[in-house]
Amino acid sequence: MKNFLIILIMKIFYFILKICGKKGGNLLGKIAYDWNPNIFSYFKVNCPVIAVTATNGKTMTNNAIAYTLKMAGKKVISNTEGNNMETGILSTILKHCTLSGKIKADFLVFEVDESYVPVIFEEFNLDTLVVLDFFRDQLDRNGEVESLILRINEFLKTYNGNLVLNNDDPNVARLGKANPENNHIYYFSVEKYKYASKNIKEAGEGKFCPFCNSRIEYQYYQYSHIGKFKCPNCSYGENEIYKLATDVNLKNRTFKVDDIPYQIRFNSIYNVYNFVAVISCVSLYNINTKIIQEALAKFVLNNGRLEEVEIKGVSTIINLAKNPTGANVSLRILNEDDEEKELLFVLNDNIADGLDVSWIWDINFDTLNHVSRIITAGTRAYDIAIRIKTSGFDQDKIEPYLNLNEAVKNLYKTNTKKYIIANYTSLQPTRHALGL
Amino acid sequence: MKELRILYLYPDILELYGDFGNIQVLQYRLEQRGIKSTVVPYSIGDTHPDFNDYDLVFAGGGADQEQGILAEDLLKYKDNIKKAIKNGVFFLLICGSYQLFGKYYKGVEGNIIPGLEIFNYYTEALADRKKRCIGNIVINTNLNGKETKIIGFENHGGQTFNIDTPFGNVLFGNGNKFGDKTEGFFLDNVIATYLHGPLLSKNPELTDYIIKHCLDRKYNDDFILEPLNDEFEKKCRKQLLDRFLTN
Repeated sequence: MKNFLIILIMKIFYFILKICGKKGGNLLGKIAYDWNPNIFSYFKVNCPVIAVTATNGKTMTNNAIAYTLKMAGKKVISNTEGNNMETGILSTILKHCTLSGKIKADFLVFEVDESYVPVIFEEFNLDTLVVLDFFRDQLDRNGEVESLILRINEFLKTYNGNLVLNNDDPNVARLGKANPENNHIYYFSVEKYKYASKNIKEAGEGKFCPFCNSRIEYQYYQYSHIGKFKCPNCSYGENEIYKLATDVNLKNRTFKVDDIPYQIRFNSIYNVYNFVAVISCVSLYNINTKIIQEALAKFVLNNGRLEEVEIKGVSTIINLAKNPTGANVSLRILNEDDEEKELLFVLNDNIADGLDVSWIWDINFDTLNHVSRIITAGTRAYDIAIRIKTSGFDQDKIEPYLNLNEAVKNLYKTNTKKYIIANYTSLQPTRHALGL
Repeated sequence: MKELRILYLYPDILELYGDFGNIQVLQYRLEQRGIKSTVVPYSIGDTHPDFNDYDLVFAGGGADQEQGILAEDLLKYKDNIKKAIKNGVFFLLICGSYQLFGKYYKGVEGNIIPGLEIFNYYTEALADRKKRCIGNIVINTNLNGKETKIIGFENHGGQTFNIDTPFGNVLFGNGNKFGDKTEGFFLDNVIATYLHGPLLSKNPELTDYIIKHCLDRKYNDDFILEPLNDEFEKKCRKQLLDRFLTN
């Protein structure tokens, strides 16, 4: 009865919010959760629940899975707005369930913050969990990556559902051994691409084998610590691959899986990983390949995740970077582009960003390809300017501004192509300053 | 051409909080002045280094799990390190490596990781794993008689006790322990501190103090370092000191 009341009140509340033109974000879930933290077990779900977790790429992968399933004619409920903590997921459910807690859909697809996986799915029956990657991320807020992985590993010890894992991330692939009884482990991988390297170019995790502490050996690195690895002592890393992306061509934005060609709208190696995860996941539900091809060819995200726009007639690419790997991936795209360009880097140190900005020293600014000027902005504009200067980029070509509007104004003084990297709380203000 | 040789300890393990940036800043400020810098990495499995062959030894902070692995390795060099410190080789030690040069580190479960016992301080983890000294920090230190404010970021669970000669007095933040008045450890040619940031990135005076110390010793001279264009650093310091100290 209590849960019935909570749902009823939240529905009325949501109705009022909608009239006021508000989406509500985490609010409904927050109130309901505070009221009854066990409310998750009240919901009656008769369809598969899919969850995506990672440090980077959650939103893109989650939304692409939801998009593909919808294109296949399925009714999908998903937190595509990126509210990925327990309260955000609860909000999404509350908006779509009946008063008796029934959820009528063919699929629930959730992006889940990596630290909330064990919390949410303790009560909630999960059919497929997709894990993309684990990188260092806001160490002052999240703690070390290792403790996060151990918590998820603990949860997986009793999990028997599908587990879709990135075989090229030693921090992720290890989760496949959490429950030896689970026969539903599906590893995905991407064949060596053009810019893969023999040595690691960017800060990475997972240097030691989690099973025998030996130093892990790599054949090559695709980006950060993602690559073809193996433990020389216990052969950890050798798994049967369920879906492998081959013939990766970032210039044409194409790749193949099982010899089927896919065209995508993004041009980064990490997007290829995201989309192979999507293909692996939806293939478990027998979605027709033609539909997957069509969905991936159309799928875009217009929220500052590799958003390509024209501003004042100048080609501009905006990408969110919350951590070193996110920023390094953005710089990879920039460096793989031979045109002349200018970079705007916006760095804030608000609570949601993590107060510690030392992570910018894990960004590889060495040998930037055809970058003629760099503008920095945000509450830590000077920190990032110092960082870039120290990497060897000419100090006279760096312009720091604490004021974002001033930075944007000066950025568009020239017609050179723009790349914009913004961290978490600076992304939307930057888009706003750009008039988006 | 003048040259400084830097030994960089466990670069692949002690590299969690951008501490590598300290090496980059050192190299930058040396190269801008036409001084060659040679950085030699050492990690587990490499040939044994002689610490006396270097002008500066640097080590950063790392993840807890990996720190245990290397503590054992470092102990092999205890005597060699002691001798190098006595010989005046400069040691810059951040966070985890700061702790390792003390008597011991006592973990949450009461487990003891023995330190090099080169200095008398010791570190104990708080019982509550989630309680850590985290945040921006400003300390005041004395570099060759000059009062200097040092800006950094601290993130440590360990509480370090028994420090006679701290690196500085805390103006903002915690320091060696929660709500402490002092931060780090400072002894002529040794600076051991919890300050990340990376430490040297916002504190050019400290970087130059270290560089001068190493050059003076190596070339038996009294160097006056050529000033560099520190416009960004100055603006950054002003902005952050205003923000942290005027609340």
